[in-house]
Amino acid sequence: MDRELVMANLNAYAVLQNLEDLVALDPESAQAAKNWKISIQFVVRNGPKAFVSFRDGRCKVGRGSYTNPDIILFFTSPSHLNKMFANKANPIPVKGFTRLGFLTKDFTALTKRMEYFLRPTDELLADPQYLKLNTVFTLNTAAFAVRELALGDPLCIPVAKGIPDGIVLLKILPDGPAVNLDVDDGDMDVQKDDVARPAAAMYMKDMKSANLFLNQKMDPFTAIVRGDVSIRGRIPFLDAISLILDRVEGYLA
Amino acid sequence: MKTYDYPKSRALFERAAKVIPCGIYGHLSPAPLVPPSHYPFYAQSASGSRFKDVDGNEFIDYMCAYGPMVLGYCHEKVDAAARSAYETGNCVTVPAPVMVELAERLVDLVPMADWAFFAKNGNDVTTQALMVARSATGRKKVLAISGGYHGVAPWTQGLGHHGVVEEDQANMIRVPWNDFRAFENAVYSHPDQIAAFIATPYHHPVFVDNEYPAEGYWNKIVALCRQKGIVVIVDDIRCGFRMDMGGSHEYFGFTPDLVCFCKAIGNGYPISALVGTEALKNDASKVFYTGSYWFSAAPMAAALACINELAEINGPKVMMEYGKKLLDALVELAKKHGYDLRVTGSPSMPYLRITNDPTLNLHQDWCSEVTRRGAFFSSHHNWFMSCAHNEDDYKKTLEIADKAFSVIKKNEAKYL
Repeated sequence: MDRELVMANLNAYAVLQNLEDLVALDPESAQAAKNWKISIQFVVRNGPKAFVSFRDGRCKVGRGSYTNPDIILFFTSPSHLNKMFANKANPIPVKGFTRLGFLTKDFTALTKRMEYFLRPTDELLADPQYLKLNTVFTLNTAAFAVRELALGDPLCIPVAKGIPDGIVLLKILPDGPAVNLDVDDGDMDVQKDDVARPAAAMYMKDMKSANLFLNQKMDPFTAIVRGDVSIRGRIPFLDAISLILDRVEGYLA
Repeated sequence: MKTYDYPKSRALFERAAKVIPCGIYGHLSPAPLVPPSHYPFYAQSASGSRFKDVDGNEFIDYMCAYGPMVLGYCHEKVDAAARSAYETGNCVTVPAPVMVELAERLVDLVPMADWAFFAKNGNDVTTQALMVARSATGRKKVLAISGGYHGVAPWTQGLGHHGVVEEDQANMIRVPWNDFRAFENAVYSHPDQIAAFIATPYHHPVFVDNEYPAEGYWNKIVALCRQKGIVVIVDDIRCGFRMDMGGSHEYFGFTPDLVCFCKAIGNGYPISALVGTEALKNDASKVFYTGSYWFSAAPMAAALACINELAEINGPKVMMEYGKKLLDALVELAKKHGYDLRVTGSPSMPYLRITNDPTLNLHQDWCSEVTRRGAFFSSHHNWFMSCAHNEDDYKKTLEIADKAFSVIKKNEAKYL
């Protein structure tokens, strides 16, 4: 799989899903989206397909086709989608011309807000609410990104082949958030949810430790020995996922 | 029963983390010991089968420094031999006579060996073995076992690991252990391209049950390799001198072309050895391979004393017998508490796993509860017995293990 396609899959399936938590956790975004009732389909030629829908004050992001979306945005290639995510290109709307105002104004404001939380500085991270959102986004993006790299990145594919079937949990203590990766017969399903008896688990002591760890500001071995991060269960799962996670920065930095 | 605390270990680790990558790196990293908070990080002293950590806690050691300790820490005969060499001259411009004596002894001890070559670490000689095979055959590719461990050089690690690139792996072909058909397919798929097959005498990966070779596996492998001109390399670094003084291949009844030794050869002194057949001596001479400390006399003197002592007391038998006695007792103890404790691999270096919980959480808890009461158990790696483990160790270990089973029983509902 070429790099542009992997990057497009990351953007569509790992980055975009942060809109769900943005609307759920950021009061400003929740306020903006509270009355929205609209759906957007992203279609990339020779690339990913994803949708975003807003209803009842919530945002849902998913893979594949949405039934009868209000807006369809077409991209001529994975590279075109990637350029849009880098604010260097615009999509081609093929449905929903009357909703262009929503796209250029409201939706763009929301994505810019998401971008704000995805570009931390030490100053911003000093605010607990910012810290929480950045950490949640980083955790979820990382987990969804693992799937895409496991299936598409040439150095991650051999690593992923060695991962046995089972569920791996990544959780921030004491009460979450948590995300799990369910490996089954060569495929991987990611869910933003805790599980009771994972095959392997990585627990981060608190939000601050999680943020340092997930943003690679903490060497994992030291973090584990110190107890900032704890690992349990079938650790080879975590070894493999950690190797894949280390490659995310090469795409999304 | 008292449980240990480790404040000095922790404090030392904090200092280490500032100036050493990972704090403690490599196979001694406490990271896979679950949880690290139940394990010591630094040793203050060691003697016989036990060591004391910097907090004054004593442990019966079932890891033996991950293999090197085989006669007991601070073994007088081995240390005396090394001390004598240190006092007369260790690392000198020319080697000491002990190099010749050690080579002669190994050739005498290991039936297939016609020569010996010395280095420092196991990976030095596994890499050298590949180079000798490539020189001898003129071929590039190497067959190895999926999940087999031969050190940390880029050729030994999987693609996707940090610092490893596609070119490092381009000539490695991995096949499953105990699958002769897959081995055969790999050989026939790469006619006249394979220089060597390297494997441990039995399969001893981490985190999973260890596997002995199936009946006839090695004989079929060797027969095909002879037919196709492929050099057979046994990596006896972990098992060496714990199963058979002639090499672990003797235990399994086959004859390789090259054998790599390390760990138990020197009771902790840094030395490794590659031994081989006469047919490969010339190529071993042609391969340029050396290291600054490879000719040091003290580790050689220690190794000579160590293997002589092991041969004298039949060290492999001693370790197998102690291992079997301990493991049988642990399995019964586990049963008493309602657990199935599976033991695989050689009794002298077994891998254990409580099978009731397939996630290994219960096993991790048990091993860590044992460790913090005074017997060092790893939950992910095979253990190692030594010739220094004794009846006191046996009794105390069972007492601790029993207590630990009671402790984990209270929390087993989390995992079962």
